[in-house]
Amino acid sequence: MSASQRPDPGPGRSPLSDDALQAGHEQIIGKQPDEKGQYRLLPLNLLFLFSGLIFLGGTYLGRFSGHFSPKVYNEYGQPPKAGAVAAVAVDPLVLGKNVYAQVCAACHQPTGLGLPPAFPPLAGSEWVSGSEERLIRIVLHGLQGPIKVKGVEYVGAMPAAGPGSGYNLSPEKVAAVLTYIRKEWGGIETPTAAAKVAEVRGKEGNRQPWTAAELEKIP
Amino acid sequence: MKNRPLFLLGLFLAVLTSWAGFVLGSHGQLGSLTPFFDEADGQSHPARLPGLAARGQLVYADLGCAACHTQQVRRPGFGNDQARGWGERQSVARDYIFHAQPQLGASRLGPDLMNLAGRKPQAPSADDLHRLLYTGSAAHPAFPFLYETREIAGESSRHAVRLTGAAAPKAGSEVVATERAQTLVAYLLNVNSGFEYPEARPLPAKSPASPEAKK
Amino acid sequence: MSHPPTQAPAAEVSPFDAPARWPLALLAGSALVWLVLSSLLALVTAIQLHTPSFLADCSALTHGRAQALRETAFLYGWAGNAGVGLGLWILGRLGGHPLRALNWAVVGTVFWNLGLLAGMVGIATGSMTGFAGLQIPRAVQPVLVAAFCAMALPGVLAWAGRKREGTYAAQWYAAAALFLLPWFWTATQAVLLWSPLRGVVQTVAASWHTQSLVSLWLMPLALAAAYYIVPKQTGKLLPGYESAPLAFWTLIVCGGWSFGRHLIGGPVPAWIPTMAVVAQCLLLFHFLVVALNFRQVFAGGSLTLQYLRFGLVAYLLTGLLETITSFRGVGVHTQFTLLVPAMEQLTLQGALSMFLFGGLVYQFPRIIGRDWTLPTFVSGHGSLYMLGVVISVLSLGWAGLAQDALLNHSQTPFAEILAQLKMPLLLHTAGQFALLAGNVLLLVAFLRSAAASCCREEGAAALRPASSAS
Repeated sequence: MSASQRPDPGPGRSPLSDDALQAGHEQIIGKQPDEKGQYRLLPLNLLFLFSGLIFLGGTYLGRFSGHFSPKVYNEYGQPPKAGAVAAVAVDPLVLGKNVYAQVCAACHQPTGLGLPPAFPPLAGSEWVSGSEERLIRIVLHGLQGPIKVKGVEYVGAMPAAGPGSGYNLSPEKVAAVLTYIRKEWGGIETPTAAAKVAEVRGKEGNRQPWTAAELEKIP
Repeated sequence: MKNRPLFLLGLFLAVLTSWAGFVLGSHGQLGSLTPFFDEADGQSHPARLPGLAARGQLVYADLGCAACHTQQVRRPGFGNDQARGWGERQSVARDYIFHAQPQLGASRLGPDLMNLAGRKPQAPSADDLHRLLYTGSAAHPAFPFLYETREIAGESSRHAVRLTGAAAPKAGSEVVATERAQTLVAYLLNVNSGFEYPEARPLPAKSPASPEAKK
Repeated sequence: MSHPPTQAPAAEVSPFDAPARWPLALLAGSALVWLVLSSLLALVTAIQLHTPSFLADCSALTHGRAQALRETAFLYGWAGNAGVGLGLWILGRLGGHPLRALNWAVVGTVFWNLGLLAGMVGIATGSMTGFAGLQIPRAVQPVLVAAFCAMALPGVLAWAGRKREGTYAAQWYAAAALFLLPWFWTATQAVLLWSPLRGVVQTVAASWHTQSLVSLWLMPLALAAAYYIVPKQTGKLLPGYESAPLAFWTLIVCGGWSFGRHLIGGPVPAWIPTMAVVAQCLLLFHFLVVALNFRQVFAGGSLTLQYLRFGLVAYLLTGLLETITSFRGVGVHTQFTLLVPAMEQLTLQGALSMFLFGGLVYQFPRIIGRDWTLPTFVSGHGSLYMLGVVISVLSLGWAGLAQDALLNHSQTPFAEILAQLKMPLLLHTAGQFALLAGNVLLLVAFLRSAAASCCREEGAAALRPASSAS
């Protein structure tokens, strides 16, 4: 068998014993002084390269880590500011539509046409396109007794929906539902402010449902 | 290397740092994520997987579906996941909080399934999925072992797969989805990521138009 | 044909080899059996890539399960057994004492392999965990960790009780691998299987583990073999060795960080993939030093050195490619395509296996005290395996590039993509076939040598005292 065919030089050929292997390398690594009695250090160029890589890595990390925030998924992004967490803007029209569907639509119908003769329509109603103050009060505290809508007189009882009532809608939700109703059926683009609802609620407190006559006195 | 315990301690500390930094670190950041309550529709997102679907995820895992399908959508401008209709927004950690075993996957020999139930214009129906699983297609192997063919005794089963053509069973018998197939399909029809979380929004437009162009 | 051990000078055949003969041969043998099994499964998965219906009606071999079986057999079966065998042998020889507690290693090896077998059956029958690289059913995993501790015990004892105070690079890598696996695997099991973390944190933990498995366990064992054998074969000290400690610590510290390169654009906060880029950049230093240390392999001619040379080139190429693709601008193209398995094959079959083959081909004649009985089979394995790796990696890379163009830049349906990738995927199957053929040759060569050595056991036993005395 020729040497070239053999997988390696054969068990007998290694010129370096285990001891020589270890001693030789220990000397290189500087654990033992060399012939001149000097310890060897890491070559300067490699050390320089290593520091360079660490510096590059650090710079990259500072630039693209999103400050290690769990909310940053795009490496170009920055974590949201502390105050901006609640910046999830709720569209009052969407919220209002949902509230309307849950609370109001049973009587006034999803179409806003009401169910005459029991429930008056909202669509085209002069009350809806009229005073915001009155509408806020109706939703907050309810309405009872006769009321004239689009020339027809309805007698019924609308329950209160504001805070503390059976529906317990927050001022934000009351404002949203009014914004929705007024835009949808009154053609009024100006949204109703939650602050305004809260203000009316503060002024009137908890009270009995309104009558149409009482509301007429309010501008 | 002279100090023997020091060497082992160094090894231990090196790997401990890495483990603590990545595993415990991300656990601290993401381990207690809560569902997002949406004021507008009065619901929490994501919804918990229904029981059948939750079991289906385990079937998905043990069949190794993740070898060919991913369940993670990348952000707009990063790959073309949006153009393929796999989801409008990128997937975020919150999408997976109710997954017992998230199946992110790493290979797309098949389409992404993160938002299968929310596909536009139309998501596949349970029947479509059963047919694909039973008969396969040019790019998808068939898994007949998830179904059993049996004689119709009395009324036909409500889990029978509606088949036509060559794959249809002979008259008087039907192909019925086993429980594993039912849970798997229930799972696939429940993975959806329609809701847009604040952290999933793309960066405001002032960032570079093609952020990946040069780095 | 045969070379009786008495012919070998004392510098080469170590007196510590004879007592460790059968435990180490058991490790090497089981490694090769798993290797053949894993390349058989790799052939199945390769065929399934271009013909998805192949064996698909067999529930044990769906593409996902076949992949999991292949990966398990390769990582834990082949690389684990072979790496531990080499690590023990090197620690024993450089420790300056015969290996102690070898019966622990034998018991550990038996349980490790039985556990793996049970795990494979579990995966095939539907108890797979669903974490890549960690698919073994959860009931089996603690057994494997315990078995590994028993296997590693002689190595740790040899490290702790070594004769010389100073240590050599091969010892650091081997000791680190044997010491680190049990603890990080236990930690991963705790957070994934016994008290699972929530949501994507599971993915982070599982990817971290898979990366550590290669970077902190298997690769160090393979590098230990290379660090030991290169100077032994060339007869020269390693150039640039003074940087080896820093290179070692770079790998140990940063090796586990780079898993995040697979999670770009997805549901993981940006800092995790960014850390991967940083880790890959730092690891460049490790790769550079390894290249400097091993540059003598380019001069040598023996088969062992050919294996190591191929492994070194693949290792450096791996390091370079992984660094480049860890940047998101490049990674967005490679992510989710066949370029990822192409690079994985380069790492695992090209670098890891080649180092281990170099180690085995060098180690085995020495522990059994005779040369390979079928040297042509061994060199045949070398040629077939190198050919197979080149073909597989290049064809998968070709397929991956084509797939990127179709997947990420068009809306081509998947059936169409598959049809267009058919050519490179068929080529990939051919490559896998070459790997399988090569591995069968090596297993046959191993069995023949072991059998021949068994038959002459009595004769060799009579000669052994002479060899240890010289």
